[in-house]
Amino acid sequence: MILHPFRELHEAGILGMNNRNAEVIMARNPRSRFPLVDNKVVTKELAALSDIPTPELYGVIAKHGEVRQFRSIINNRDSFALKPARGSGGSGIILVKEKRETDLITESGRTIAIADLRYHITDILSGVFSLEGQDDQAIIEALIHPDDVFAAVTYRGVPDIRVVVYRGVPIMSMVRLPTAASDGKANLHGGAIGAGIDLQSGLTITAVHRSTIVARHPDTGNPVCGIEVPHWKKILLMAARSLEMTGLGYIGADIVIDRYRGPLLLELNARPGLAIQMANRTGLLRRIQKVDQAPENIFATPENRVEWARQNL
Amino acid sequence: MKRPALAAALALIAISLFMVGYRIVSLGYPVTPARPDYVWTFRFDGVLQGTGKDPLFLLSLPSQGHGQIILEESIGSGSMNFNLLKEYDNRIGVWSGKPGRNGEYISYRSTIVFQHEGTERTVVPPRSSYPYGIADEQIGLIEGLTGHWRAMPLSTRVQVVLGFARAGAAGSGNDPDLTKLDGTLEGYDDITRLLILLAAVNVPARTVEGVALAEGVVDTTFPWVEAWTGQGWEHIDPEGMKVVPSAKKFLPLSVGGMSAIRTSAGRISMKRFELTRNIMGRWRIFFERVSRSDRFLDVWSLFRIPPEFQQTFRILLLVPLGALLIALLRNIVGFQTFGIFMPVLMALAFRSTGLVYGLGIFAAIIAIGYAARRYLNRMRLLLVPRMSVLVSLVIFCFIILALAGNKFGLRQFMAVGLLPFVILTMTIERFFVVVEEHGAKTALQTAVGSAAVAVITYLIIQWEVLQITFFVYPELILFVMGLQILVGRYTGYRLSELVRFRSFRSPGQ
Repeated sequence: MILHPFRELHEAGILGMNNRNAEVIMARNPRSRFPLVDNKVVTKELAALSDIPTPELYGVIAKHGEVRQFRSIINNRDSFALKPARGSGGSGIILVKEKRETDLITESGRTIAIADLRYHITDILSGVFSLEGQDDQAIIEALIHPDDVFAAVTYRGVPDIRVVVYRGVPIMSMVRLPTAASDGKANLHGGAIGAGIDLQSGLTITAVHRSTIVARHPDTGNPVCGIEVPHWKKILLMAARSLEMTGLGYIGADIVIDRYRGPLLLELNARPGLAIQMANRTGLLRRIQKVDQAPENIFATPENRVEWARQNL
Repeated sequence: MKRPALAAALALIAISLFMVGYRIVSLGYPVTPARPDYVWTFRFDGVLQGTGKDPLFLLSLPSQGHGQIILEESIGSGSMNFNLLKEYDNRIGVWSGKPGRNGEYISYRSTIVFQHEGTERTVVPPRSSYPYGIADEQIGLIEGLTGHWRAMPLSTRVQVVLGFARAGAAGSGNDPDLTKLDGTLEGYDDITRLLILLAAVNVPARTVEGVALAEGVVDTTFPWVEAWTGQGWEHIDPEGMKVVPSAKKFLPLSVGGMSAIRTSAGRISMKRFELTRNIMGRWRIFFERVSRSDRFLDVWSLFRIPPEFQQTFRILLLVPLGALLIALLRNIVGFQTFGIFMPVLMALAFRSTGLVYGLGIFAAIIAIGYAARRYLNRMRLLLVPRMSVLVSLVIFCFIILALAGNKFGLRQFMAVGLLPFVILTMTIERFFVVVEEHGAKTALQTAVGSAAVAVITYLIIQWEVLQITFFVYPELILFVMGLQILVGRYTGYRLSELVRFRSFRSPGQ
């Protein structure tokens, strides 16, 4: 039967791209709220209002005339992250771990002249990395010092935890582990590993690397399953509160665990990808349907939603 | 949520089909407008010599009507003047003035189409009349002799008259009345005899002069008789005195006894009539009809806009189809393309360069542009100036191509036109970004996907059958819109997702 493969995917509860766009994003995410998550500066401000911790903001460069302030922003900082406020897919991000007289050393060990970085900032401001090419802002914020919990399964870079939140209920989660192939970026189509996390226990389960199931990290050789994510309940709660924070009913919250500050909200995504389903070996659609059938009272507070999710999903 | 979209889509499709149906059923539009039909090219050439003062040359021309449509006409009159004259049912071309010393070459040319529909209708039945120059007492005598025929039905009367005209009195055992009739008609030629007899039995008849509708060259016209049988004019072959079933075998020029060619103070030293049969798309024939019609949908037809703009609309009408195709390929198949309409714009650009050269030019310029873009990346250029450098580079490539094309006689290299530079510049930038963000493999896949969609779109918009069909029935755009809405409501899995999520299929059963 021609339709058989389609039915199989449907029975597995897989959420397809068309269905995600038409029935979930269009139905749950009002267009007017998108600017809240498309611009990281705005997201940071909102998070501060909701007492959700984010990486410390050193400075924002919003105009070409302000580029010369860059030096004073990084004046007494040894390390920092430079990001476009509207960037997507991790593009345009430069992580600086060390500062010298005229040069900067990046996280991956490259040396960049400060003057070159200023050129990169003007690129950011001109909208090279923004979603639709509009003018952008450059964010300079604290560099993450990743918690050691994933150190054995991370090749450089910072692993981040993606929690997909539907109507304020965290429905699926994974940790993205950078590899040599992903150049230290926690970007799945860049070659990072995605390891699903059990909502109840906070333990990593299966992992997927370029659409194949893996048990070990390709670079370090250590097993990626069975790792217990610290601050798990707090992470879920932070993610769940994104509903109150943004009013968006379908969100991908990206959270990193800082060695010193604990979980920090990195960014929110109004169009989270579908690869998380592979990392968890289960479909989003099934969980969305479960949430839609849940009793109304569980939606009252973020705590209730997290609790319900951990019991039922 | 699903319902209004479905309703809107079905409504659009229904409106579109209704309009097409209305045009076909009520307005007689062609169902297959792109199908070829036969048209005849009629041509007269002659050399006119002047023999006196103010020579005149009159030629009866084919006329409109009776299932006969003149698509285009042209006249060659040399140094003489040309006028068009209407004389009863005839159109007469009049050449006047002074022919050259060695005669004047004149010509007439027209394209004629014969419609097969039996819509031919003469509202007022013509009345029968005798040819000129028949004395009243003779008429009385003939009517007396044929009195018993007049009581017969119309078609029988024609048959009886034809039978008599064929065999005379001998055909009916030398009936004394008929022998007398034979004697009375003595001295008249066959055609006049027939005309007298038909008039005597009250059958309207006329002589027609023209040429046979067959490919070839003749140097003279010939006459025949047409008799009115109640429904229409029947062609009677004067040689065999028989009714020839289809009138579509002859091209009448002059109706009513006038000679097809007349001269005064001059003579024709050479004349030839030539007929050739050509194939022409139905829509062209149809176009003529629309441009003469007063009906609302005909007046508001794209055929009415000036021809220099029509070509643009023929292409524009198919762009929605290309967009539908992209929607299908992206949302149902899961193709990756650069931008949403880039492939459509590429397809439009291919129209002037052709497919092979177009693809080659695009690939080459994107490769050059990509190399340049990599280098530009090191030069600290801001976005907008950087894009303008790319635009200049692309246009510079066009110029090199044009010069090379000129040198080696490759017109396609010069035919890049204005449109593609935007597409190329954007594609180079997009290509660079995709290589940077997702790797060269994804970028190449996307490039091949875009090219494939562009090729398919190109084949669609260049398909003349489709162009003509949409041009005749522009409401088909509503149909396409309906389909686009349906694609927009397809929330099922994309074909590419069957592969992407293949690990979920038949899980551990």
